[in-house]
Order: sequence, then structure tokens, then C-alpha cells
Amino acid sequence: MEENVLNWLFLFLGRFHPLAVHFPIGLLVTALLLEGLTLKGKRPGLREGINWMVYLGAISSILSAILGWLLSTFDNYTGDLLDLHKNLGILTAVLASVTAYVLYKTQDRKTPNLFFYRSGLLITVITLSITGHLGASLTHGEDFISSVLQKKKNVYSDVETVALLNELKPLDSLSVKQKDALNLEVRAVLAHNCYQCHSVNKQKGELVLDNKRGVFKGGESGEIIVAGQPEESEIYKRITLPSNHDDVMPKKGKVLKDSEIELIRLWIKRGAHWADQALNVFPEATLALTKPELPEDATHKHPIDRFVFNYLDENKIKPSELIDDRTFLRRVYLDILGLLPTIAEIDLFLKDTSPDKREKLIDQLLNDDKNYTENWLSFWNDLLRNDYSGTGFITGGRKQITDWLYNALMENKPYDVMVKELMNPTAASEGFIKGIQWRGVVNASQRTEMQAAQNVGQALMGMNVKCASCHNSFVSNLTLGQAYGFATIFSDSILELNRCDKPIGKMAKVNFLYPSLGSVDGSTVAERLEKLSKIIVKPENGRLYRTLTNRIWKRFLGRGIVEPVDEMDNAPWDADLLDWLAINFIESGCDLKELMRTIMTSKTYQMSSVHYSDIAEIKSKTYQFQGPTIRRISAEQFSDAVSQIIAPVFYATAYNPNPNKLFTNRIWHRERKFDRDVLPDPGKRFFRYKFNLSVDDVKSAKVLVSVDDAYVLFINEQKVLSGNNWKNVDKIDVTKHLNKGENIIAIEADNLGLIPKPAGILFALKMINHDKSEILITSNTDWLSTNIEPNDQWKSLNYDDGLWEKTKNFGSNHWGELLDFSFEDNNHLFARASMVKQHPFLKALGRPSRENITTTRDEQATLLQALELSNGSYFNSVLETGASNWLERHRQNSGNIADILYLKALGRKPSKKEKKIMLLTLGEQPKKEAVQDLFWATLLLPEFQFIY
Amino acid sequence: MSRSKINSRRAFIKKMGAASLSAASISIPTASFLSSCSNLEPIDTSTADTVILLWMAGGMAHTETFDPKKYTPYSKGVESKRVLSTFPKIPTAVDDLYFSKGLESIGSVMDKGAIIRSYRSADLGHILHTRHQYHWHTCYEPPQSVQAPHIGAWIAKELGPVNPVIPPFISIGQRFTVGEAEELKAFHSAGFLGSEYGPFLIPDPSSGLESVKPPQGMSLKRFEARNKLYKELTNKSALMEQASGYQRASLMRSMEQSYALLNSPESEVFNLSLEPKSSYDTYNTGRFGLGCLMAKRLAMHGARFVSVSTEYEPFLGWDTHENGHLRLIKMKALIDGPIAQLIKDLDETGHLERTLIVLASEFSRDAILEGRPGEKVKDQVQQPTIINDEKFYGMHRHFTDGSSILMWGGGVKKGLVYGKTADERPCYSIEKPVVIDQVHQSIYHALGIHPETNYNIEGRPFYTTPDGHGKPLLDLFA
Repeated sequence: MEENVLNWLFLFLGRFHPLAVHFPIGLLVTALLLEGLTLKGKRPGLREGINWMVYLGAISSILSAILGWLLSTFDNYTGDLLDLHKNLGILTAVLASVTAYVLYKTQDRKTPNLFFYRSGLLITVITLSITGHLGASLTHGEDFISSVLQKKKNVYSDVETVALLNELKPLDSLSVKQKDALNLEVRAVLAHNCYQCHSVNKQKGELVLDNKRGVFKGGESGEIIVAGQPEESEIYKRITLPSNHDDVMPKKGKVLKDSEIELIRLWIKRGAHWADQALNVFPEATLALTKPELPEDATHKHPIDRFVFNYLDENKIKPSELIDDRTFLRRVYLDILGLLPTIAEIDLFLKDTSPDKREKLIDQLLNDDKNYTENWLSFWNDLLRNDYSGTGFITGGRKQITDWLYNALMENKPYDVMVKELMNPTAASEGFIKGIQWRGVVNASQRTEMQAAQNVGQALMGMNVKCASCHNSFVSNLTLGQAYGFATIFSDSILELNRCDKPIGKMAKVNFLYPSLGSVDGSTVAERLEKLSKIIVKPENGRLYRTLTNRIWKRFLGRGIVEPVDEMDNAPWDADLLDWLAINFIESGCDLKELMRTIMTSKTYQMSSVHYSDIAEIKSKTYQFQGPTIRRISAEQFSDAVSQIIAPVFYATAYNPNPNKLFTNRIWHRERKFDRDVLPDPGKRFFRYKFNLSVDDVKSAKVLVSVDDAYVLFINEQKVLSGNNWKNVDKIDVTKHLNKGENIIAIEADNLGLIPKPAGILFALKMINHDKSEILITSNTDWLSTNIEPNDQWKSLNYDDGLWEKTKNFGSNHWGELLDFSFEDNNHLFARASMVKQHPFLKALGRPSRENITTTRDEQATLLQALELSNGSYFNSVLETGASNWLERHRQNSGNIADILYLKALGRKPSKKEKKIMLLTLGEQPKKEAVQDLFWATLLLPEFQFIY
Repeated sequence: MSRSKINSRRAFIKKMGAASLSAASISIPTASFLSSCSNLEPIDTSTADTVILLWMAGGMAHTETFDPKKYTPYSKGVESKRVLSTFPKIPTAVDDLYFSKGLESIGSVMDKGAIIRSYRSADLGHILHTRHQYHWHTCYEPPQSVQAPHIGAWIAKELGPVNPVIPPFISIGQRFTVGEAEELKAFHSAGFLGSEYGPFLIPDPSSGLESVKPPQGMSLKRFEARNKLYKELTNKSALMEQASGYQRASLMRSMEQSYALLNSPESEVFNLSLEPKSSYDTYNTGRFGLGCLMAKRLAMHGARFVSVSTEYEPFLGWDTHENGHLRLIKMKALIDGPIAQLIKDLDETGHLERTLIVLASEFSRDAILEGRPGEKVKDQVQQPTIINDEKFYGMHRHFTDGSSILMWGGGVKKGLVYGKTADERPCYSIEKPVVIDQVHQSIYHALGIHPETNYNIEGRPFYTTPDGHGKPLLDLFA
């Protein structure tokens, strides 16, 4: 009994520590500040006062340290942070005392030397500050400061616990409903504090707390609950042990709040009733959309503006200005088409004085189907993890949906129809749910059916199914059973549940994430997919539409209404706005372009961008909308912009929607090592192809040729063409070179470099006869080749090529399809980056490899990007080519070059100061190198790299 | 910078992260917005600053290289099942440790290193080399629901560069124009850690210098003038006068770093032509040998993680689907001299002490068994029961239950032989089997990286080794 009283006394005293610590902080910090004022002998009058502050500060710091020690010993604090705080606290007291002593001693002298004392005081205050901060971390949590910046865990408060306690505690008997509520609250406490170690997933001490059976069965040390008798219940004993006790729960310095302990006590005391309903530990967004009322607003007509300006008003945020026409033009061009406006387009728009010119421009751009499609293709490829190359294709374990997607965007297919066709696919759209299958066996959580569930969950529903595909989720209420039920929709057979890759003898029950939408049961996959495709697009499934509209919002304004965009259970900064957008989207017939139009025509979209000095401000849970954020142009937009204004970055695409495209097979000499076909060695190879022309006179004959790396072409022994850049399709009329009867095409080609690498000839000869019939001769495996330098006669018809071999077809995969490889004058200037195979240049700039879904690209630059842009040979050769072209085109006029470059790149002319710098580099007679370097500097300007 | 300095610096930053007085001084990693598990106690187990991975791509047969069994010379009509090794064994610098003929030089430096003879690859069914390679390099079996980082990327992320001018993760020797290129790319990646930590690729070591110098054909003077022009135009842009954003700050910072790196005289480390001719010739057995030479130069000047690959190309290199015996004569000639020289050179200059060299392959090979003993895995190679053609003499099937890993330096015991495979077929791991988690954790242990290092990605912790369960092989270290 005596000990208890002492304990209580010490604890009582200890609790004065937080009060006491403010004395040394206040006194010593003020002393230091005042000390600063006395430097160089000024203000001697302060001396006496400072001295007393230091003495009192030292005494109070000793007192604080003692009280702190009591608190740490007799209260529930443990952990490294505490130890550090404790040690530093003691150090502070010692330092303060030493400082006070030195000061005291210094006063004895006639000409006091204050240096040591002042240094001591400074060190003391620094130590004190760190100690103080650690103390604050202990009371407010270690992430007290950083939590403002960064979402770490689901922070939860005990407000509800306390409220429930207050409600139930005074009652003599509880209704079933109240008992249920009590139990659910207890389970929520267990979930937040105990599941990490005691759940089906991780059964420490053989104790499972996340289901009824486990709770009442107990663990290693037997049952943990004696209904009606909390003091006899192991669980209650453990959570009320002193924090330094070996058996205390929870471990790791975590302590239950008093309210939580009391709640558990109350629950046991009232019979430890177990509610039948499932526990929703994590916040969940409601499934259905709620049609919000448009806020009254006399000044704003646009519905989005009415929500947003009302929001800004309520939060006392001053709206940012609207952007000027030039900024607007660049923003909408990049957002809709992914291209920069041309000089003519800029002029036209600036001259237009009609009040609705912005709306007109938005409509006009949205109607440019081709460029819209080829810009937005990247967004959808990222989202649906569709790519032209990547893992899985090699063993047939993956399929593209490019053709389907391209056409869906071209015709602005309604989003619900797109989703239906992805869920219940045709051969063209089945790639999405087919997933990626590598050869061999895979972990149960990565079987393709589960991939489908994960991908549909993430991309379309903004829900994380990945966690729950291995075990009950730690981040949402989703269970393993739900994930398997979902995956089974895509499976030929009913799946058996696997927990962490081990079967648990339970079969899945087919269901969609939200069974309330309707049954997906069926005897075949086809039947289930059919049902899924119907229920998932129901307007009642508001989540589908919220997820999509939120993604588009983020694309245009830089930050979603909900963030992260794949976690749609998180709270939106304006729930009404989001639901209004989603409902409006459904009512428009799920018209994607209409959704974009709606957002872009608002003042909200047209506000000037807000600058954040830290990304954490945007990601923060407490984010408040102030306006659009600055956005980085994407890898594809950068590449296309360079193609537009400097020189084409890419000439060949992986996907070519042109229905009249030619074949694309490249041939080369077959090279073998150890009986295997291998990459061609460097060096010259010789090719021959003979053909017979039965007609008398060919009206016209034209050759297209592209050879990697270099070539000389002969027809009937006459040299016709040569070249050394496969990206350029060389075209020439060869009518005069052809004869009736036998003809011979001979090509001497060279694979440059030092190590084996791909090489190939792409060749086409089209002859049109007078009767308009056509003959086409192409590079194919009937061509003969050799790697042994032949004699001079090799170009002639009569040369004996009996020892030459048939060539190998190397396809087009490595090079892509050259848009210019066509007899039509189709005037393709460059290949859009969204359609080229993943390339090191694009990869460095942030185009993701689409093995997994990507919904956010990094907006920050990295060193590897900067290196690629600074010395990457690929990019530099584009700039070099561009510089030559520009010098020709602009007749070497430096002033013109400077003006046009800025107009094209930035949409404005250079300022006087800027032009002066540019002309200094260019000189009177600009050299190619100078133009190239000016290009480089301009393209890397922040003004170019970001959408402001 | 020495390891201990780094450690104290990291510990300091970690502590200050919690203790700093103003919110402004808390910096979020610039490249990506990852939250790490901050509760890990800093540890200092470090015995190495640098790792060199010598990658024997394509499945190197242990019985033909570092774990020879009974030698059966070729004779027409020999039974496949009798062939365990097609080379006689030779002694090494360590008593009772024998290698296969052709590896005399590496044998002579085994008194400076250790050998694990009981590595078990994952059991992934129908063999695809790149899947096993992905697993070896990331410790995760593909596919994964997020992109797993390469071990080099983890190390780059956790420790950063030793010498700021040398990228912390360099991969030498692998081209991506070969078969299975996409699968190779999938693990030559920093995954979710962000491209900042991805590999700096040098497919051909003889032209490695180009990657770290101003663009080809650009004089240093012009390079400097270009940078000056950029800075001036940036400063004159009207936008500069508006408030700065983090996006632009990251661009400016990256551009400055890149300029400093490309303008640094230290990039000559990548210039193999500066190497004395005798040394160059010793290493020059081909691209792999020169890769070892570059690794040596990098290690001596402060590299963090360098991998040198014999290069994977389906059916070539160690991927012997026929003519295994003859191919191995060439492969051994390719690696034996340069690897031994690398170890000697680093040893003589004192760098071996804190450089951990690891030699490994995705799995081994066998004349008869495909996959694991006792499991039916689809055969990919026709192997006759009776060998009547020398083409069939060698190890042509993929064997996943026993292969060798060699280690030198960086605190590893000298002359250690760890684990054992059976002397008769199946020559599988019979003592102290080792899995990839342990190999990775041993490397992390040597570098002082906490075994439970993880990042929170899409709401779940992603550890260096699955679930953070891997344990280092402490027996390896002195």
C-alpha cells in the first residue's frame, strides 16, 4: 500500500514535467537573446537581469530533468526516442549548471571574459531546443511535424471511443444494438493496435484477434477473455501492465489510450458480446453518387466555377488570376493535342476578338481526332498497361489492345462502352484482362486472373486489390475472400484461396467488389464476364465514374480531387464537385471529350498555376485547392515538341494505323554461331535479287529504300542511290534503269560499329505499267547474300552467286514502321512518341515500362534525365540535324532564328535582354554548332519544360 | 568518403529528421515520394563499400567449373548418364578445393576468397532464363504487382555514390538488342524506387567513356559556353521572377549535377585506353575481360555497385544447348584471366579489403536433369541416351538445385568452402542449401544496409528481400 502511494506521488509529480520544462526554455532562450543585445559591450544595463535568468534557468532545468525522470519511470513511456530525450534532458541540466557556474565565476573578475560563458549558453540552448523538440515528439507523436507534410498511416483519433464510452458507461443494461456498437468499437481498437501481430496473417503467440473464434479461443497462454470479469481476463491484464513490464501489450512502446482500455474493460464487463456484422476498420467512400445542388453564385455561371469559387470563398482562399491568351493557348494545345501551337495558330488566336474564342478553340482542338488520339493514347496505355513491347510477349503471354484503343479514342467511344468492351472483350480488347504471363509457374497472387482483378480494381475502380490478393488487406477493408471472389470471375474454374501463396482449403465465392450491384455468377467465364460488364458500368457504381473523372481532373489541374488517384476511399477536397462531375459525365453519355470540354471551359482550369516549393504540399491530406499546379510536360510531349520545332525525333512507329501501309520486313545476311542465328557482326554484306520483266515498257518505276546502317544500291550495274541513315526513306525514280527481261538489283550494305547489332535492308520497287497494272518487288528472303567480299562482277546478271545464301527476315520490331516508307505522298512529318516502341530516350524522360499500371508520372527531374538530355547521342543528333535544317531555311539570319525559335518553343518573342544573349551566341554568321547549342538551352528552359 | 563516415552521416540525418527544429529543414527525397520505414535502428555491420557482381549469364554448370565431379572423357558411345564433368579437376590455392580444368588462374586466388557450393535457385517450372535472372537480381519472382528494384538500385538508393562523379549503379556488358531483351530490361531497373537509382548502362566497355563526357564532337570550351548560355537564358526568363516551384528546383538541380559530372576530369576513370598496355592486354579476352578492367578502375576510384556480365543472349555464352564441352573451353578462357587479375590488382592496391566481389549465375546445368530432381519440368533440349556425336557431350539442360557462388574481399572469410553438392547425380545441394534471400542479405550485411529496409508502396511495405525475412550468412564473414 505504501509503495502504491509513493508511486502515485511520483507519478503525480512527474506529470508536472511538461509544465516545468517551459521555465528553462523561456528563461534560457530569452537570456541568450538578451545576451546577443549586449555584444560588443552594448546595453550593460541588461547584465544583472540576464545573470538571474541564467541562474534560474539552470535551477529550473535541473528540476525539469528530475520531474522528467519521474514521469518516464512511473508512467507509460518507453522507447528509443524517450531514451534520447531523457539523456539530452540530463545533458541540458548539466550544461545549464556549468554555464551558470562559469558565469558566476566570471563575475568575480574585474574585466569579465564572457567568451566561455556565452559559448556555454549557446550550446545549452541548442541542446535544450533539440531536447524540447524530442519531448514534443513524444507527446504529439514522432511525426508531429512531418505529419503535416506527409501521409504516413491512417491516423485515427479516439473521439468516437470516448463518445461511445460516455454514452454506454452510465447505462445499467445495453440493447443488442448498443452491444453491437460496443463490440465493433472494441474491434476497431484491436484492428488499429493489435492486428499487425495478432491476425490470421501473422499469429504471434498463436493469438488471432481479427475474428470471433480467435478472440475467444485465446493464444499460447490460454483464453484471454473471461466474460463479465475484466480483471480476470488476460487481455485486460496485459494492456494495463506497466509499460516496462515484459508481458505488456501492445509491445514496441505503443500504449493504448485510457479511453481504449476503459472501452475494453466495459466490453468484457458487459459480457463480451460479439456482433455479427463485419467490421469496417478503414474509411470507405459510398458507392453511389449523390447529386449535389449547385451553389448559388451570381458571378459564375459555369457549374465547376460555382463549386470551386464557393469552396475558395468558404476556405478564405483568394482565387488566382486568369491566364493570358498565350499561356492559355500553350496549355490547351498540350493538354488536348500534346503539341505546341504553330506561329500562325498563335497569331490567329491572338487576333481573334470574339468573347467566346477560348471555347471555340477548345472545341476545335477536341475535334482534331487524330492528334487528340495520339496524345491521349499515352494516358490510356499507362492506365491499361498496354505497350508495344515488354515482358511476356516473347512467350505469347501478353496481348496488345492498341488497335482497339486507338480506334476507341478516334471515335470518342463512350467510356462505359469502353469499360464493357474491356470486361467482356473481343479479341481486340482482351489484352487488358489477359494480363502478363511469363513462362513457368507463378505465385498465386500473380496468376493472370488475379492480375485482372488487381488491374480492374486499380485502373477502373481506384481500389487496391493487390494487398488483398495475398491476405486480408492492411490498407482497406478488402478481404482475401473478396479478392479471390473477384478474380474467379476471370477464371475457367473456381479458384482456391491462397494466403501468402499457400492454399487454405477454401474455395472462392464468385462476386464483384460490390455485390449490391448484382450477381456475376455464371457457369462459364463468358457468362460471368458478360454479367460483370453490365453491372460494373451501372450508374449506381459511382466509384467507376468518380475514379475516371478524378483522373482527368488531375491531368488538367495537376492534383486530383482525391489523392492518390488510385485510392478512391480517401476524402475528396470537395465531394460535391467530384460527384457533380461524375454525374454530369454519366448524363453526357460518358463522353470523354465532353468531360474535358466541361473542365477546360471553366475559369477554374484557366486560372494561373500555383507554385509549391515542396511536393508534400500537394500530396498532403490537408491540401486545399488554390488553383492548377505547374505540370511537367511528359516524355512524349517533349519529344513531339522537339519534332515539331527542331527536327523529327522519331520516324518510325510500333503501331501504324494507316490502312494502306506497306510491308515492313527488313532482311540481312543470316549470321550463325554454334548453329544458332545471332545478331549480325559489323562489316559489309552483299545482296542480290534478280527479276524478270515481261512488259515492254514500264510507265514509271519508283524505289523506296532504308538501310541500317549504310548502303549503295545498283540496278543493272548502275549505281542508283546511296545513304547512311535508315530513318530517312530514300526515294528515287528508276524507270530508265529497267530493261525488258532479266534485271538485277544489287546492294552493298554495311553494319557499322564494333560489336554485333541489328542491321537490315528495307526495300520496295513499284512499277506501274501503261495499263495501270502494278508490280511490286520487296526485300524478302528470296534475296541472296554473302559476307565474303565478291569480285567486281557481283553486280552483274551473269555473276555466279551459287554459293550465296538466302537472306534472313529480321522483321520490323527493332526499327518500327517508317511512316515515310510509302509510295503515297502522305506527308508524315514525324512519328508521334506515343506510338513508338519504348526507347531509351523516352524511358529516361519518364515514359514508364508498362508491366504494371501507371497512373502518375514523376514530375520531378532526375540526374539520369539531365545526363540523357545533356550528352545523350540520340538527342544531340536530332539537334544537330535540326540546326542544319534551320540554317538552310532561315538563310542564316541570327535575328530571325532567335525570334522564330522562341515563338515556336515558348509562344512568345524573346525579350531584349534574352535576344542580346542569343545573338551573342549566334554571332553575325551563325554556325551549326551555335544554333544547336541555342536549341539545347531553349528546350531545357523551365519555361519550356513545364506547363504553367 | 569512407563507409563509417557515411554511416554516421545517415544516422545523423535520421536522428535530425526527428529532431530538427523547423519543418523547413525536413527534406523529402527528391526523386520520388516514398515513405520509408523509419523505425529501423541504424546498424553498422559494414565490411565493404563497393560491390562488383561478375554475372555468368545463361546458366553456368557447376560440375564443369567450380564444383567438378568425376571426369568422363569423351568417347563415342558413352552414356549420357555417366557424364558428370567433361573436364578433369585441378587443385587450387586452397587445400582440398578443386576446380575444373581451365580455371587455374581463379583457383590461384581462392586463398583470398570463399565459395558457396550449395546455391539453390527458385523452382519456377518451365525454364525461362530471364525469369530466373530477374529473380536473382531482384530477389522477387516475376511477375510482381509493382516493379521490383534491382539489387544495385537498392544499394544506390540506400547508400548513394561513393565518389559523386561515379554513378552508384553501373551495369557493364549487357546489350538489349538480343532475344529476351524486354525481360532483361525488366530487371535492369530501379523499379518503384525511381529511375534516379536505375543502372547506368555500358554495353561496351571500350566505349564507356562516351557516357560520361560532353557529347561527341563537342569541345570542352563549347560545352562550358553552352552551359553558360543556358544559365543566362534561364535567369532572364520572365518566369524566373515568379515564385519557384519544386518541379523547377529539381530540374535546375539535376542540370547542375549533370554538368558537374560531365565536366569532371575524373570521368577519365571510364577511359580504358589510359590503362598500361600490359595490363590492358591481360584483361582483354573480349568484352567481358575489358568489363573487369573497367570494374577495377571504377572500384579503385569509388564505385558503389558494378555488375559485369558475360552477357546473356539465348543459346550463347553459358547457355549451352549443344557442344557444351567445347563452348566451355572458350567461356573459361574468357573469364579465367581477367577475374583472377581483377582480384590480384585490387588486393595489391589494398582495395579488395572493402570491395566485395561476387560471381554467380542464375542456375546450373546438367546433362540429364531439367529443373529440380524429382520434378517433371518440360525438357528444352534433346539429349540422347548414348552419345555418338561430340555435339551432345556437355551440360545442356537447366538444373536449378545446386550451383556455385564465389566471393572475394569485403570482409569475406578467406579460403572458406560453404555447403556441398552430391558427388553422384543428381548433383544437388546436400549441405547448408543457400537461397537468394540469404545471398542478398549477405551483400547488404557487408554494406551495412539494414535487413529490414523497406519502402511503402501502394500501401504495403516492400522489403529488400520478400517480407524482410531474409537472413545474412554470417558464416561467410571473418
